Amino acid sequence: MAIYPNPPKWAETLLERLAPEHLAEEIKGDLYEMFLSDAKRFNESSARRRYSWRVIGFLGEMFFWNRPTHQHHNMTGSYFTMAKRSLLANKGTTTINVLGLVIGIASALAIITIIRFEISFDTFHTDHKNIYRMVRVSGADLSEFRTGIPYAIPPAMKDISSIRKMTKLEYLRGASVDILSADGKFEKEFVEEGGVVTVEPEFFDVFDFADSPIKWISGNPKTSLSEPSSLVVTSTIAKKYFGEKNPLGQILRFQKIFDFKITGVIEDFPSNTDFPFTMLVSYSSMPQLFKGRMSDWVSVNDGHTMYVVLRDGANVKDVERQIAKIHAANAGKDLSEHRHYFLQPLREVHFDPKFGTFSRRTITHETIFALELIVLCLLAVGCINYVNLSTAQSTLRLKEIGMRKIMGSSQKNLIVQFLVETLTIVLIAAFAALGLVAVLMPSLVSMLGLPVKINFFDSALWITLALIIPAVTLCAGFYPALLISKFNPITAIKNQFSTGRIVGVSLRKTLVVIQFTATQVLTVATFIVVAQMDFFRNVDMGFDRNAVVVTIRVLNNDPSSMNSFETELRRLPFVKNVAKSFTLPSGVDRNRNSRDIGKPDAHDVQDYQNYEYCAVDEHFLDLYGIRLLAGRNLVPADSSKNIIVNEALMRNLGYRNPLDIVGAELKLGGDGMVHVVGVINDYYGNSLKERVDNIALDANADRYRQVSVRLDLAADQNMTEVLTKLEQKWKLIYPEHAFQFRFLDDNIAMFYEQELKYSRLFQIFSATFVLIGCLGLYGLITFIANRKGKEIAVRKTLGASVGNIMVMFSREYVVLVAMSFALAVPIARYGVNEWLTNFENHVEVQWWLFAVPGVMVLAIALVVVCMKSFDAAMANPVDKLRNE
Amino acid sequence: MSVRIYLGELEELILLMVALIGADAYGVSITKELEEQTGRVISISAVHAALHRLEEKGFVKSKMGGASMERGGRRKRLFQLTAYGRQTLQELRDVRNTIWAQLPNS
Repeated sequence: MAIYPNPPKWAETLLERLAPEHLAEEIKGDLYEMFLSDAKRFNESSARRRYSWRVIGFLGEMFFWNRPTHQHHNMTGSYFTMAKRSLLANKGTTTINVLGLVIGIASALAIITIIRFEISFDTFHTDHKNIYRMVRVSGADLSEFRTGIPYAIPPAMKDISSIRKMTKLEYLRGASVDILSADGKFEKEFVEEGGVVTVEPEFFDVFDFADSPIKWISGNPKTSLSEPSSLVVTSTIAKKYFGEKNPLGQILRFQKIFDFKITGVIEDFPSNTDFPFTMLVSYSSMPQLFKGRMSDWVSVNDGHTMYVVLRDGANVKDVERQIAKIHAANAGKDLSEHRHYFLQPLREVHFDPKFGTFSRRTITHETIFALELIVLCLLAVGCINYVNLSTAQSTLRLKEIGMRKIMGSSQKNLIVQFLVETLTIVLIAAFAALGLVAVLMPSLVSMLGLPVKINFFDSALWITLALIIPAVTLCAGFYPALLISKFNPITAIKNQFSTGRIVGVSLRKTLVVIQFTATQVLTVATFIVVAQMDFFRNVDMGFDRNAVVVTIRVLNNDPSSMNSFETELRRLPFVKNVAKSFTLPSGVDRNRNSRDIGKPDAHDVQDYQNYEYCAVDEHFLDLYGIRLLAGRNLVPADSSKNIIVNEALMRNLGYRNPLDIVGAELKLGGDGMVHVVGVINDYYGNSLKERVDNIALDANADRYRQVSVRLDLAADQNMTEVLTKLEQKWKLIYPEHAFQFRFLDDNIAMFYEQELKYSRLFQIFSATFVLIGCLGLYGLITFIANRKGKEIAVRKTLGASVGNIMVMFSREYVVLVAMSFALAVPIARYGVNEWLTNFENHVEVQWWLFAVPGVMVLAIALVVVCMKSFDAAMANPVDKLRNE
Repeated sequence: MSVRIYLGELEELILLMVALIGADAYGVSITKELEEQTGRVISISAVHAALHRLEEKGFVKSKMGGASMERGGRRKRLFQLTAYGRQTLQELRDVRNTIWAQLPNS
């Protein structure tokens, strides 16, 4: 073929590689034509040179690089059509996949909404990054974490230059509030459980609620909160007290003593603040409320707190040092060595249960982390199901894939096609999940007591969804897509796979093991949480917690009316005993007062023990079942100089035997001596999360604030009736006071409210997790049993019994469960131990806690396997073998 | 002139060549005709690029023609003026004529 010379090989190859498919032919044709005419006109080598230059010329042209787009365009539609067909072809697996993902995504959305609520607390103030709460850490081992600041400290901090703004407030929590008639007479009493606070006008300067400013319906912070005895209320309170009447200028009487005039009305505070105030009294009223204490450097009310805004770049340690200097100069050396003030960033306040918040809500970072982990687990288990089922099922699609490849599909096309299929499932699941969340969220939220709603106009919800959808699609879809698209078309078409071999076996086993492991770890965790909650509720706290005791708060502590109330109560047939005391043995309603006590020769701070003192009458020990270990009970004739100590205080003072301390004289930090008349057993005044405190009881009748009534109820006694009778007696003695009572067990249970709520959340989602896992396992085993139909048929014809076949099926899963058990035990053990160290008193970790979940998972797996393999084993082999 | 027409000088020449050649207008023939008519040597890749743009703008349309031995058995893309292309050429000429008519004779 010498007539037709050849253009340079390299240039041709270059063109073939780079030219767009639809242009290659015409370009090569044109070039070749010109090459031939060049070769005729000049010579071959010159023609070759020109050819090369022209090819290079093409490389410089933009149009040459533009790939046609219209072909891909057509594919998008067909991807979805094919996805629809293949999803409809396998309705069973599709349902399992969608269901698993729906539950997973719905739970994820719900938990993420809760987490977002929790981390949004007080982040909306302009200065929130620079706001610090002053906190107090004290005790010899720095184990007492409180927020109260003595009244004299804040004014002395004015000169610290790094502090840009500061504000102090005293949270009074609840109060009795009376509406007065026009002539100043008592009209109606309300009892506020919380929300009463005294604040300075600067409060709204430091906490400006910038994202959703609290609107002043009338008044303004500068004028309404500056005068003493001024009161600002929220619109809800205004409506509750005055209805449609104008609240401005009205006078409310607090605690039967203090009259405050309403000078402003504001909108309600948002739900995600740890400052849940409803009635704001001007701070300038404080001298009136706390008389001589305003210049006190030592004694502390824990509600009196202080917030500072530091300048940008200010050194926190430096400010703390300056505060320490002021404190040391005024409070004396002894105290300043044992009590320290620190600045805690506002962003930590909601996450630090040591100090607590006014809203009584905190959540630890660990809990948030655990919640995030659950979100991941729930999404992962949905993905794992998907991967397991679709890789197992891929065998069915071998022919389809082979055919597609032969018809010219590239691997990339196939991957896209499978991902579109996954995306379709995920999209369906995501929208179903939105519906599910909308339906279930209200009950979940009311169970947790959270003011959270799913808001469909919230962009964050859609962003979350927009992140979840592609992430889940890729996690669930990518591996199966890769695996399926890799099939060799020849083998696929030649039907070599159809003998029952199922691809992706090892990966699937790994995923099943992971799933089993996670299930066991979560189950162990749930068991431990439940056991710990049970422990809290049932453990011996050192007093009789199972007695039905109604505790009534008394505002007017005049001893004679209290005595007549006691007499009246004792007349009721169902009242077994009545005791008066300053506070309760335990529960959240408990007030604390503490001071120092030491041996007579004590003079250094180290020689003193901090203890909590409480006034009780002679019935207190008996009513609560607190045991006297030595000495005698208190009698009404005892002065406040006679005390009963608990064992902890006795030991801490250095006495071994209760008998040794009875009769001893002890020195109080500051004011004189006391005489020990008895010793009682330790009881938990705090929640069981903490230790037993040093406690001493005295008989100071002026300090009684609580009346405890122990009831002895007949089986058919109606509780409402009992309470009505108690209230009647109350109204007899205290006609102007609201009847405020609580059951002791409720009061104690409230210590653990938060833990209890979140433990329920864990239980619900662990159960969900196990459920999705089972669903996936069921789908997988169903499929494998169906695929192995022929194998079973052959085995049966060759003489295998039903038992043999079931053993064959189960063996694999027993091994998988065993592996997961070996993995789960150390992980769960570590996690559980970490969690339990949060509590001073906790349950013992027992071996069965680990064994039971293992057995449970094994049982679930075996039940599913046996159910399915039994069906398969019982089938008549002829049916399976005939249609070949 | 109602619509502004974006047509480069080379594009206009090539469009004219497509109109001139008629049935057998493709890369090589257009390059040759250009050289003969104007004496300008335009590289084949530039001609392809221009034809591509003209087709995108809708002045020409194309179809694949027959193969021949001279092309190593490859087909050629044959271009044909569209009605819009013809109208555009017409308008361009009219504009120029109007302007020329207004020039003072010198």
